[in-house]
Amino acid sequence: MIFQIENVLIFGTVQGSVLALLALGFSLVFGVGGVLNLGHGAFYLITCYVFYLIWRVLFFDLIISIILSLIIAIIVGGVVYLALIKPLQDSHIGIVIVTFAFAVFMQEFVKVIAGIKPHYISPFIFGSVEFLGVTFPIQFVFVIIGSLILVFLVGLFISKTKIGKSIRAVSQDREAALLMGINADRILMITVMISAFLAGMAAILYAPTSAITIDMGWSFLLSAFAVSVFGGMGSTSGCVLGAFIMGYAKTFCSVFISPTLATVFPLLVIVVMLLVRPQGLLGKKEV
Amino acid sequence: MPKKIRSKVSNTVSGTKNFFLGIPRATRNLYKEIPHQVKSFKEWIFTFRGSLTILCLIGTILVPLITMDDYIMTILISFLVFSIFAASWDLLAGYTGQVSFGHSVFFGIGAYVAAAFVKMAGLPWFFSMIIGAVAAILVGLIIGIPCLRLKGPYLALGTQAFSLILFNLFMSGELKDILGSTEGISALPAMSEAHIVTFFFILIIMVISFIILTIIVKSNIGTIFKAIRDDETAADASGINTTKYKLIAFMISGFFAGIAGGLFALNSRAVNPSVFLALYSFYAIVMVALGGIATISGSVVGAFIYWVILTELFKPMGALGTIFLYFPTLISALILIIMIRFADQGILKPALEHIREFYDFLLGR
Amino acid sequence: MGVILEVKNLTKKFGGLTAVNDFSFEIKRGEFVGLIGPNGAGKTTVFNLISGFEKPNSGSIRFDGMDITGLKPYQIVNLGLVRTFQLVRSFHYMSVLDNVSVACLSPRGKKASEKVGLDKYASRILSEVGLIDKARFPPVILPHGDLRRLEIGKAAGTNPQILLLDEPFSGLSYEEQEHIHALIRRLSNEGVTIFITGHVLRELMNLVPRVIAMHQGKFITDGSPQEVANHKLVLEAYLGRGGGIA
Ligand SMILES: Nc1ncnc2c1ncn2[C@@H]1O[C@H](COP(=O)(O)OP(=O)(O)O)[C@@H](O)[C@H]1O
Ligand SMILES: [Mg+2]
Repeated sequence: MIFQIENVLIFGTVQGSVLALLALGFSLVFGVGGVLNLGHGAFYLITCYVFYLIWRVLFFDLIISIILSLIIAIIVGGVVYLALIKPLQDSHIGIVIVTFAFAVFMQEFVKVIAGIKPHYISPFIFGSVEFLGVTFPIQFVFVIIGSLILVFLVGLFISKTKIGKSIRAVSQDREAALLMGINADRILMITVMISAFLAGMAAILYAPTSAITIDMGWSFLLSAFAVSVFGGMGSTSGCVLGAFIMGYAKTFCSVFISPTLATVFPLLVIVVMLLVRPQGLLGKKEV
Repeated sequence: MPKKIRSKVSNTVSGTKNFFLGIPRATRNLYKEIPHQVKSFKEWIFTFRGSLTILCLIGTILVPLITMDDYIMTILISFLVFSIFAASWDLLAGYTGQVSFGHSVFFGIGAYVAAAFVKMAGLPWFFSMIIGAVAAILVGLIIGIPCLRLKGPYLALGTQAFSLILFNLFMSGELKDILGSTEGISALPAMSEAHIVTFFFILIIMVISFIILTIIVKSNIGTIFKAIRDDETAADASGINTTKYKLIAFMISGFFAGIAGGLFALNSRAVNPSVFLALYSFYAIVMVALGGIATISGSVVGAFIYWVILTELFKPMGALGTIFLYFPTLISALILIIMIRFADQGILKPALEHIREFYDFLLGR
Repeated sequence: MGVILEVKNLTKKFGGLTAVNDFSFEIKRGEFVGLIGPNGAGKTTVFNLISGFEKPNSGSIRFDGMDITGLKPYQIVNLGLVRTFQLVRSFHYMSVLDNVSVACLSPRGKKASEKVGLDKYASRILSEVGLIDKARFPPVILPHGDLRRLEIGKAAGTNPQILLLDEPFSGLSYEEQEHIHALIRRLSNEGVTIFITGHVLRELMNLVPRVIAMHQGKFITDGSPQEVANHKLVLEAYLGRGGGIA
C-alpha cells in the first residue's frame, strides 16, 4: 500500500510529462489561431512509425534517427498548416473536418505501410532503476527529464525570443498584434510546427516504453484536448499544470480504482469541464 | 440541492414531458403534408440528384436477378446499411448544423443493444433492432444535453470524446462480464434463411427510413433545423427554442443511426467494440460529403460510391496484397480533404454540383 | 394605455467599460419611440439587454407587467417582444419565404398563422414588406435594403406586441430609407409598439413623436424631437464627437 503511493508519484510524473508535451502544442495552436487541430494525434502517430522505421528498420544511429524523425514531424506540421489550415482559416468547422480526415488518412496510410500488427521500438538504453523503492525502466528517466527540459525551453522561447513574444501577442489580442505589424499567418505556421515538434518529442521519448499501434493517435489527441480544456485553452501554464494533475489523477485511478476508469478519465474531464467551467482552470478564453 | 439546479431539473422534466405529449400532434402535422410531398417527389425524380439516386437504387434491386453471389450481396447490404447511417448524420450535421464526430456512438449502441436482445432475450430481429434504435435515442439525449452548449469545433471534439469513452468501456477487461470486452457479442442467429431475403428486408427498411427522413427535413421542423444551422442566434431571435430542436435532431438522428447499427450487427451476426471507433464516424462524414451535404438522398449516392465503387475498385488488387483493402478509406480521406479544401463556396456546396450543371446542360435546361 | 415596457436602473459592464449606466425609461402600449445617441453610446447594448441576449449586471426589465430580466431570447420573443439586428442576420441557405416562415413557426407566430395557413401567412408578410416577388431567392443575393426589410419581416412573423428596431436605416440610400419609413409607419398604425434606434438625429426626427437620448451609457433626456435636438448635452454629445446633427 505504501509503495503504491510512490508508484503513483513516479508513473504519474511520467504520464504528466508526456501529456504536457502533447497538450502544450495543441493549446498553443488554439491560442494563436483559434484552431482545433484534430491531426495533432496523427503527429504523434507518424513520428512513432517514422522513428521506428529509421532506427529499427534502417538501423541508423539513435541520435541521427531522432533528429531525422523530428525534422519529418516538423515538415508534416508545416505541410498541414499550408495545405489544410491556412486555406480554411475562416471556417473553423472546415478545419476540424479536414484535420480529422488528415488523421484518418495518416492512420490508413500507416496501416498500408506497416500493417495492423503492433510494433515495438526498444528503449534507448535497456535496464531499470530503483527510486523510492519503485523499479522502473530507464526510459522513464528520459521521458521525465526530456519533457522538463523541453517545457522549460518552450517557456523561455515564448517569453524571451522575438517570435515567442509575437506568439504571445497574437494569442492575447489578434487585432492589436496585426496592427503592430505582426504576420499572424507566419506565427501560426511556426506554432503548428512547434506543436508537431513537441508531439514528435513526446513520441520519441514515450513510445519506446510500450507497443505502437495504428489507432493510438485518437487517444493522444483527446488526452491533449482534455488537458487543454482542463488547464484552459490557450494558457501555457494552465496546460502544464493540468497535464501533471491529469497524469497523477489517471495513475491514481489506475492503481487504486480501476484501469478502465483511468483510460476514460481524460474524456470524462472533457465532458465535465466543458459543462462546468468552459474557460478551464487558468484560461480566460471563452469556449 | 441548490435551488437553481432543482429548477433546471424540473424545467427539463416538464420540457421532456411536453415534448413527448407533442409527438402525436407533430405526427399529425407531418401526415397532413404528405400530398404536397408526393408532388415534390415527382419533380425530384427528374432532377439530377433524383435520377442518380433512383438509378443507384434500381441497380441495387436488379443485381439479385443477375447473381446471388454471397460476396456481392454482402457489399450491397453494407451499402444499404451505411446509407441509412450517412443520412442520419446528414440530418444532424447538414440540416441542423450540429457537426458530430461521435456518430459511431449511436451506431454502436444500436448494434450492441440489438445484438444483446436477439442473443439474450431471443427476441425477433426486427423488435431488437427497434429497441436498439430507441436505446440510441436515449443515448442521443444523454450526449445531446451536455453537448448542446458547445458550438462548432467543440461539439465535434466533445462528441468524439463520448465515442472514445464508450469504446474504452466496451473494450475493458474489467467489464467483460457485462459488455463482452474485445469479443463483443457473436454467433447471432441469421436474420433469415436466404441471403436474398435479408437483402430485401434491409432494402425495405432503408427505403422507408429515407422516406421518413426526407419528409422530416421538408416539413416545418426541417425548416426550423435549417434555421438553426444557418444562424442560431437569429433563430433564437425568431422565437425558436433552439435547445429543444437541437435535442430533437439528436434524437431523430440517433434513432436512424441506431437502426443502421442494429442492421449492421444483425447482418454480420456479430458485434465488437470497433463499431465505436472514430473510423465509423468518418464513414458517415465521407459518404455524406461524397453525395452532397444537406440533401438526405445524397447519402445513397455517397454510400454507393464508397461501398460499391471504391471498395470494388480495389478488390481485384486485394489479391496482390491485403494492403489494398485499406485503400478505399485512404482514398476517401484524401477525397474528403480535397473536397472541403477546395469547396470555394463553403462546405455546404455539394460536390456533385459541377456534374449537375453538365446534366442540366444535357437536358437542355 | 398601460405601460408595456419598463426599464429600471439598467447597468451593463464589459470589463472596465460601463456600456449602459443606470438607465431607466418607460414605454406605453402603442407608442412610437426613438432612442438616439452617437456611435458607441450603448443603444445596441440596451437592446441586447432587453431582448435577453446579454445579462445585465443590475437593474430590471418589465414587459407587459412581467419581470423578464434573465429570460432567454426566445422566451421573450414568445411573450411578444422582438428585436432586429443592426447587422442584419438572415438564414443564408434558405429562401426568403422560409426565412419568414421560421418566425411564423415560433409558438406566437404559429398561433397567428394557423388560421390562414403557414405559406399564405408568410407570403402576406412578404408582400407587406415588399419582398413577395423575391420569395424564392436566397437572402445572400439580395441588396442591403432588401435584407433590412427581410429583417423586419422576420420580426413581424412572430406577431409581436412591441418591435425593437436597431438602426434600420444605417447604410441605406434615401429611397430605401423611404421604403422602410413607410413600412414602420404602417406597423405602428396597426397598433404595434415601436422602439427604434438611430445614431443620426435627422433620420428619426420626422418619424417619431418621442425621443430618448443617451450618451456614454447614460440617460440624457426624454421628450419631443425638437426638445431633444436643442438639449445642451445632446448637442455636446454630437458636436463633441465631431458628428453633425443635421
Ligand atoms: N460584447 C462586448 N464586449 C465588450 N465591449 C462591448 C461589447 N458590446 C459593446 N461593447 C462596447 O459597449 C459600448 C456601447 O456599444 P453599443 O451598444 O454597440 O453602442 P451603439 O449601439 O450605441 O453604437 C461600445 O464602447 C462598445 O465597444
Ligand atoms: Mg449599435
